[in-house]
Amino acid sequence: MPASARKAAIRFAGVVALGLAVGAASAFVSMKHFGMGSEEHMGWAGSRVTGSSEAGPLLRARVALTGLLALNRSQAIYFTRKVDDLGEPLREGCHYRLSGGPLPGRWWSITAYAADDYLPQNSDDALSVDASEVRPDASGAWEAEAGPARNPAMPWLSTRKAGNFDLTLRIYNPSEQAQRDFGTIAFPKVERLSCGEPQ
Amino acid sequence: MKPGLRYLLAFVAAVGVGHVGTILAAPNAIMHLAMSKLSEDGKLINAFRFSDRTTSASRWVVRPSPDLAYASCVYDLSKGPILVDVPATPGGGYVSVSVFAGNTDNVAVMDSIHSPQGIRFILQKERKLVHPGDDPVIYTPTTRGIILDRRLAPTQAAFEVADKARRGDSCAPL
Repeated sequence: MPASARKAAIRFAGVVALGLAVGAASAFVSMKHFGMGSEEHMGWAGSRVTGSSEAGPLLRARVALTGLLALNRSQAIYFTRKVDDLGEPLREGCHYRLSGGPLPGRWWSITAYAADDYLPQNSDDALSVDASEVRPDASGAWEAEAGPARNPAMPWLSTRKAGNFDLTLRIYNPSEQAQRDFGTIAFPKVERLSCGEPQ
Repeated sequence: MKPGLRYLLAFVAAVGVGHVGTILAAPNAIMHLAMSKLSEDGKLINAFRFSDRTTSASRWVVRPSPDLAYASCVYDLSKGPILVDVPATPGGGYVSVSVFAGNTDNVAVMDSIHSPQGIRFILQKERKLVHPGDDPVIYTPTTRGIILDRRLAPTQAAFEVADKARRGDSCAPL
């Protein structure tokens, strides 16, 4: 092969390799941020096909990347949010009040995850708040707090070392109605109380 | 065709192939990595592995739930079906057993609400012979995959009860 042809072939292969790399990178961004086939209610986004074989290729890829081995909706439904009730990103340095009423399942929990999809790297032993920790009043209303330091008066979800985080609500053994229509669920509120420097 | 246009078309086509190929390959590739991790690089096949209580350091799967005690079995049906037996947690604690195929599909799920005395079934590849007997048979489209036993254990005390019960789990060839 003449030198000029060899040079052109190498250049062509380089262009193709670069294109494949760009395509793979854009797929990774899509899997991480788009295409969950989800619906949003009161700031909480959830998908009815998580863990199911009904999922399309992008959702299947996204679940594999961010929620591998998730339960299907007869066992648990999952909802995630990255912002508070005013639409501001959830941040480690802020305190948030979580409040709500009865949730339609046998049990529920709310957990904070850091941007890498793992639990915050702290040793506070407060990785979630759940149905057994909160103290509902006569109407079933409950409150808890998420933040970098404990409020002794409330069940606490530690966000220390979480950076910009998200909250995941899991409702185990959800009612038929909740499985069918997420819009019927009275989701918890997430109100920002104050912000300071991360501890 | 001008060389510049040829390069541009090749680049655009490669971006498309890279994008779609990555999305299609990701579930199997990620599942393969998970199976490798959970089977301790293939050393623990058709046997349950018991994860420690979930802490900040838990990184065996993304977004682990700190409220559950996990046990996992990487199955391999290349030599035939397996029998899966998962005893109940004393006191009626919630237990759920999920079967995942190698492409991430959750092909079956059973729980202690429907099976309060424990969960027991035969797992075999699709289109294989059905085994006689009383045990239910679950079919999976792939030879390899993961069985996950989750038990509700939001406190250290609940975890200890669940942990003792899950040590009776088995997933072994028939």
